[in-house]
Formats: sequence, structure tokens, C-alpha cells
Amino acid sequence: ATTWNVSLWGKRRAFTENVEKLAELVEKKTDGKFKLNISYGGLSKNKENLDGISIGAFEMAQFCAGYHADKNPSITVLELPFLGVDSLEQEIAVSKAVYEHPATKKDMARWNATLLMPSPLPQYNIAGVGEAPEKLADFAGLTVRATGGIGSAMREINAVPTSMSASEVRQALDSGVIKAAAFAPHAHMSFGTVEIAKWWTTNLNPGTVNCPVVVNTDALNALPEEFKTALLGSVDEALKHYVDYYNNKTMARWGPLLDEKGIKRVTFKEEALAEFREKVAGPAAKAWVTANTARGLPAQELYDLVESTIKKTAK
Amino acid sequence: MDSVDIGLIVSGFMLAMVVLGVRVAFAAAIAGLTGLVWIFWSKRGYDPEHFFWALTVATKTAGQVPHSKIASQALSLIPTFILIGYLAYYAGLTKALFEASKRWIGWLPGGLAVSTVFATAGFAAVSGASVATSAVFARVAIPEMLALGYDKRFAAGVVASAGTLASLIPPSAILVIYAIIVEQDVGALLLAGFLPGAFSAVVYAVLVVLMAMTFKNFGPPVRGFTWWQRFQALPAALPIVFVIVIIIFFIYNPFGGDAWGTPTEGGALGAFVVFLMAMARGMRWAQLKDALIETAKLSVMIFTIIWGVLIYVRFLGFADLPGAFAAWISSLDQSPMLTLVMILMAYAVLGMFMDAIGMLLLTLPVVFPAVMALNGGENVAAADSAFGMSGTGCAIWFGIIVVKMAELCLITPPIGLNCFVVAGVRPEISVQDVFRGASPFFVADALTIAGLIAFPSIVLYLPGLLGI
Amino acid sequence: MAGVSSVLEDDSLLSRLDRGLFKIEEFLALVGGLAVFSLMLFAVVSVAGRNMFNAPLPGYVDWIEQIMPLIAFVGISYCQRLGGHIRMDLAVGALSGRALWSVEFFNTLLMLVVMLLLVWGSWAHFDRSFDWNSPMWSRDSSVDIRLPIWPAKLLAPVAFSVLVLRLLLQLWGYGRAIVTGDERPVAVPLIEDAATQAAREAKQVSSLESEDGRVRGSL
Ligand code: NA
Ligand code: NA
Repeated sequence: ATTWNVSLWGKRRAFTENVEKLAELVEKKTDGKFKLNISYGGLSKNKENLDGISIGAFEMAQFCAGYHADKNPSITVLELPFLGVDSLEQEIAVSKAVYEHPATKKDMARWNATLLMPSPLPQYNIAGVGEAPEKLADFAGLTVRATGGIGSAMREINAVPTSMSASEVRQALDSGVIKAAAFAPHAHMSFGTVEIAKWWTTNLNPGTVNCPVVVNTDALNALPEEFKTALLGSVDEALKHYVDYYNNKTMARWGPLLDEKGIKRVTFKEEALAEFREKVAGPAAKAWVTANTARGLPAQELYDLVESTIKKTAK
Repeated sequence: MDSVDIGLIVSGFMLAMVVLGVRVAFAAAIAGLTGLVWIFWSKRGYDPEHFFWALTVATKTAGQVPHSKIASQALSLIPTFILIGYLAYYAGLTKALFEASKRWIGWLPGGLAVSTVFATAGFAAVSGASVATSAVFARVAIPEMLALGYDKRFAAGVVASAGTLASLIPPSAILVIYAIIVEQDVGALLLAGFLPGAFSAVVYAVLVVLMAMTFKNFGPPVRGFTWWQRFQALPAALPIVFVIVIIIFFIYNPFGGDAWGTPTEGGALGAFVVFLMAMARGMRWAQLKDALIETAKLSVMIFTIIWGVLIYVRFLGFADLPGAFAAWISSLDQSPMLTLVMILMAYAVLGMFMDAIGMLLLTLPVVFPAVMALNGGENVAAADSAFGMSGTGCAIWFGIIVVKMAELCLITPPIGLNCFVVAGVRPEISVQDVFRGASPFFVADALTIAGLIAFPSIVLYLPGLLGI
Repeated sequence: MAGVSSVLEDDSLLSRLDRGLFKIEEFLALVGGLAVFSLMLFAVVSVAGRNMFNAPLPGYVDWIEQIMPLIAFVGISYCQRLGGHIRMDLAVGALSGRALWSVEFFNTLLMLVVMLLLVWGSWAHFDRSFDWNSPMWSRDSSVDIRLPIWPAKLLAPVAFSVLVLRLLLQLWGYGRAIVTGDERPVAVPLIEDAATQAAREAKQVSSLESEDGRVRGSL
């Protein structure tokens, strides 16, 4: 029997269902001869999961590109603001396209890592306390927890992005250090922002974070063919389960929860959003391309790949 | 051999090293590293050709831990809290507090001793460490008590015991360490320590009054201060109030508005206020440098234990020992409360021989998940739990109790560091005298712990305001 | 538990090396202390910026995460020179002479082995975050303002290497004491019983305040 150690963090949640399902499928397909032993935080800190893969301490791990842009510059293209992705399926398609690009593979090969699958998240939106913003101008001076591309987008509308780890967000909202936080819905629920939020933006959709699952390349190559097939052959089903779970369990709970907590839905006019996107998206993409070309990445090519894939998969 | 066996053997090896006098931080790191090598090598069937591979992976895994775990905002509270304590001496806060206490409540039976208890409690609001607190008050309070004809054992016992309040009343380095090891909200734990600290101080004070009333020679009251003199004594002690207000308001705003920031910022601002006060009182670079070096030394000592133990914890993660221990504890065929009391008894015994921080760091990674499992798990609702509180509530409640337990061990023989320090400051009082003087307070502490177990709301009321 | 102990000195090469290294260690400890002080200033700037100018210090958390290793690591050898790392000295406290020095030698050797391994492991951790060919040599950056992390990671192997030197000197000191049977050898922290230790800590406290309330000395 072969056992792989898998390093995740936090608790079991919508975000980890792709790995949980993968473990279940692999074990079933190999009659229990190949097991994925999932650990939540016991094997590594989330920011060090790539290090652990590179060392060979465990065989599989999940991480988010934005935790450490310099470790994985190629993937951060997927975290640019206002890419215009509007479903989990589309997020999967774009992620896969980028993951399969030779430059991305080479980037990950520095960590002895092979990208296995994404953990697609919907667009972030902002939940906050105090008076609800009615137009984008109302964001001026608003302290908001937002990182990476979403943070820069916030700066464009004169909000004040503030940094802290996700687990500190609740306390920071309670204590007035921030007035709002940008998260995907499942994270608004698991980090408790819904408990005190007064409003939530429905259609700001500034972007999301990209959190792939990777495997140690040597371990993957050392797998018997049967196990390797079972593993790689289960990815699509695991992702399908993930998307169902996210849409049917998490998103289905989200609307009623907003009503139950009396959280006001803030929807912005399309013209206003278009202007916002124009102001932010172009310059952010340009800055990303410049910075990453300097790193020796075919940055323009990666960005074009993202754009074309989004167009291709748009409904 | 399965990984749990490896976990047990390596843990035994670590305890043997600690007993043999290997410094705790390094004993834990050695055990963790050895265990990691063992686990990785066993994965490759103990093939001699793969030993070097296992050593490499284990070493690189362990080598991440120091930076990875130490580079954390929450941990920055520890050096800040230590620095506040040192600066407070230079700001002359000890004498000011004692003087104010004496003028206001010295009229009680055993008045000076009661004043000592409350002055110490006040000082605890700027000091994060028990031993230092006892040392300072041994110098400030004991001479005055002896001059008034107090029993010397009694006087020494009061100071040794009251010093332990510093670890419950925020700021407290040990509560921050607990919060980080068990991954709970630091602010909630600091807030939780406040009432039990105050409760503990009141229990001490009541005991002092009762003893002074029972044994006439123990301590006469101090009378004759005018109201004018009383108010005159307040301004010098005022910075303490500033610091308390700052720290509390940075965790929770009692007036319902926003808090002013995070506990980390509150601690640092508190330190800044005391720093300005010390400057005003004549502290200069030479003294500041001493305070900074002492703070650095104590911080590095604590951080070294933290990363050393976390290397061992990383190994435990690979061996899955905490899970196995928790499963075993919750499978015991006895009431969870009895098991909890037995765990606390084990701490009392261990605490006789070990330092509080080292003891908690070494044991919590295994004991904490077991206690959580006893209560019914991390996500249990209060109604379904064994101890009648939610998972988070239980984590906070157990933290306060176990810290109080560790503090209790500072006044028990044979090592009881607070007693040694008091005896050290006052050459006329022997260590045996201090231990004997502290023994009634040992009883008081045992009652306090029983009280905290019987009435968890003493611990959980304030954190409850944060929504926990 | 052991706190501070005393280290004897004489004219021997060992003792001169001990004092030489101690100068470096004292400097590093002061650097650590100043880093603590900077935490305080950072917080003041951050709170003031947020509340008075609605302009929080960008990357406050990132900066703190960079400062923490400075506090946690650089003084590690200073602490070891003074025997300040906590241990349970009930058993060693009962020994004396060659038996004591042999146990101390063995314990120090264990520490040396683990520290050598950790120099390797923490160097590897640094090395993974460092890349000659990247902008700012960075292969790992902080979440918010993307500070390169390699300088902070480098502090661990550097500080641990100083500790390795200290442990080598202490091994030399203990080894020499085993050979000569000296009761009070130089260059190693001598164990004091709890009472002596307490007396010295107490003396430090006493020296804090002179009679006029002015402060001096240290705690
Ligand atoms: Na305190
Ligand atoms: Na004790």
C-alpha cells in the first residue's frame, strides 16, 4: 500500500472538498491500496506548503498564489483585478489553461511541484459595517481588508486597503481597525464577517485568489501506473463535486443567511462599474506584465492566454 | 512500528533529556528532529540507503520552523509586554502604587498586606511576569510591614503569592503563549484573565483580613491618612490607569463603540506611555539600554522554547500523536470532569519541578486536543458539551485554569521560584519561612481554581462580550 | 529552573575567546532590544496614522513579521553564554566536579549536534527564498506589500552559527574541566543553587532605585 501525506490548513470546508473527494475516489479506485492522508495544519504552515513539497516532506498540498507572489509569479496572473470571470467553471478553465502553459510548469518545477488542479473560488465581494456605500465614491476613506490585486483596485476608488491574516479579520472588524473585508462568500461565513456585517456588495466582482493543489513531481513519477491513472483520472470528478458543493451548499446558504442577518445587498450600476474596471484593470495588467517580463516570464503571453480563454468560455 | 509508538518513544526520550538537564528548548528540538528522521525513514522501510534522504528531509522540515513560526504578528505581544514591565520600574510605578494603596485601604485589618495585594494587582496591569513582580514588591512592601510588626512569614508569603497575579491580569506573556500554541484569539484570552485575576486578588485579600482578625500579632491596620493625603497619592499611580484603559480599549470598548485597535497595538502603546513616563522620571540611554538588553534576553529565551517545542509539535503532526491521545482520553470510562481534575493534578505535580512556560509549552500540544475532545470537540455547542460551554469557551476556560495552576506552582516547594526570589531580596527571611508563609495562599489558590471550575462565567463573561 | 549564571574569566586563550565572542553577543542582544523598541514605535505610527490621518501604515503586519526574527534569533547566543536558556537543573544541581562537567559536556554536545543540523535546515529555508537572478533576489515575498523575505530568513542560520561557536567554546571549557578536575572552570556558566540565583536577581532589582527615587542599574 502507498500512503501520501497531504498538507491543507484550517478545517474541512467547501474550499477543501476537491481534495477530500479526490482522496475518496483514489482510495476506492485502488481498493484502498493508495491512500491520501489529509492533514489540516499538522504538516506545515499554509505559506510554507510549497517549501514542504520542494523538500519532499509531503506529497500533495494546497496553497494560494497571493500568499507569496515571488514563489509563483506565473500563477498570480489569475489574481489580477477585473478579469471578468463569472462562474466557477470558467475559473477552472482559465486556471487549467495557465497551469498547462510551459512557463507555469517551469515556474512550479523550481519547487519540484506539478500542478494538479485549481480550487476555484467565486469573485470576491465586500462585506462591511457602518453605512452602506451607494456609489463607488462612497468607498473613499473606507478601511477594507483586501490583498493583492483586489487591494490595488480598492486603492483606485480611494478606499484604504489594510493587511491582516484572514483569521484576524473578525477581531479587526469588531475593533474598528477595518470597516469592511473582501472575501468569497464561504470565507465571509467561516471567518465570521457575516456575524456583524451590515452590507454586502453583490456585483463589485473585483477578482479572486487562485489556490492550486500541487503534487511532488518525484513522488508522482514514482507512482505505479495504476495509482497514477487513478489519481489523475479522478481530478475532473473531484472538481465537479467541488463545484456542486460550492454552488449547492455554500451559495445556496448565502442568500438566506444575508436575509436572516439583515445584511443589505448593495448593487452598483453597470456604467459605474464599467468605469471602475477601465480605471483599474488596464493599468494593473500592464504593471503585472512589466514586472513579470523583468523576471524572465513570457508575461504578455500568459496574460493573453487568460484573456482569450475567458472570451472562449464566456456564455 | 506505527507512528503513534514512535511518538510515544520520542516523547519519553525528550522527557529524559529534560530531566538530565538539557535546556528545554533544545531537548524539544532534538526530540522533534529525531522523531522526524525516524518517521521519514520508516516510510522508506528503514533502508540504510535512504537514511541520508530521511535526515535531509527531516532537517529541512525542522529548519523551516524557527522563521516560519516566529515571524508572526501575534507573537510580537510577548516582547512588548516584557518591555512594559521593565520600563515600569524606571517609571517608579511600584512605589507609587503601594503608597496609594496604603493610604486608601491600609485601615483594614492586615491593612498593609491587603494594600500589597491590591498594589501588586495594579502593577500586574503593566507587568507580564510573576517572578519580577514578587521581587519588586519584596523590596517595597516587606520592610514597611516588618516595621509595623507584621509576622515576617506572613509578610513574605503575601508578596510571593500576590506576584502570581501578574500572569492572569493582562498583560501576561504566558497567556499570549497559551493563545498562540492552542490557536485561540489572543485578545479573548487576555480579556478572560482579567476577572479571574481580580477574583484571585479578592480571595487573597479576604484571606489576609481573616488571618489578621484571627491572629492578633499578624498585622495591625494603618490609620490616620486624611482624604487630602489619599488624593495626593493618586497622580503618581495614574499611568497604570492609562495602560489598563489602553489595553482594555484596544481589545474591547466597554461603551459599545469600536475598540481602538488590536491587542498588539494596545500592548505597544501601553509600553510607549510607560516609556514616556520613565523618561520624565529621569531614565536615560544607559538605563534604557539595560532594559532593552534584558527584554531581548528574556524574549529570546521564550522564543527559543517556542520554536524548539514547535519542531517537536511538527513531528507530532506527522506522528498524529495528539489525535491518538485525544481519542484515548475521551474513550476513558469515567466522567470527563474527573479526567479534567486528574489532568490538573498532573500539572500540579509537574509544576513542582518545572518552570511554568516550559511546562505549558511541552504539554499543551498533546493535552489541549484531549481536553477539547473531552468537552465534545472544537465545534461543540454549549448545550451538547461535557463542561457546559462551547469549544472556544472551553479553550479559553482551560487556558485560564491551567495558567493559574502553573502560577500556583511558583509558591510550592521544592522549586517555587517566587518564594526563592522573596527570600533572596530579604536576607532576614529564610526560604522555609516564605514557603510556610505562602502555604495559606496555596489553599486560597486551590479554592480559586475550584471556583473557576464551578463558575466558568467568571472566566467567560468578559470574552462573551466579544461574542465568544 | 536556571536563570542567569556567572561565568569566570582568566588570562587563558579560552577565556579571551570567550570574552571576545561575548562582545559580539552583547552587540547582537542590543540589536534585538532595539528591534523590540521599534515594534513600539511602529505601533504608535500605525495607530496615529489610522486614527488621525485615516492612513494606516502600509504593510504594518508585513513589517512586524520582518522584525520578529530579529528579536527572536539574534540574541540566542548571548542567552546561552549567560546560561539563560531554561532548563530543569534538579539532577545536574546534585552533581559536582568531573561528574558534573561530563554531563554538561554531553548536554552541550547534543545541543551542538542539533544546532549544526538547524544551521543546515534554516539555511536551506533561506536558500529557497533567495534567487540571484530575480528582482531584489527574491523568491518569496510578504502578502501585502511584497517585501522580500530572504533577509529575515537569513537571520536564523546566522544567529545559529554564532551559537555554534559559543557551544564549541563551552565544549572546550567543559572538556578542559573534565581533564583538570577544576571545581570553578572559566568560560562556562556555573550552576548556582536556586537561593544564590534568587539572591542575585533580587540584587538586580534592588539596584534599580536609589534612595532619592532616581533609577540606575538594571533588572
Ligand atoms: Na500582567
Ligand atoms: Na514549584
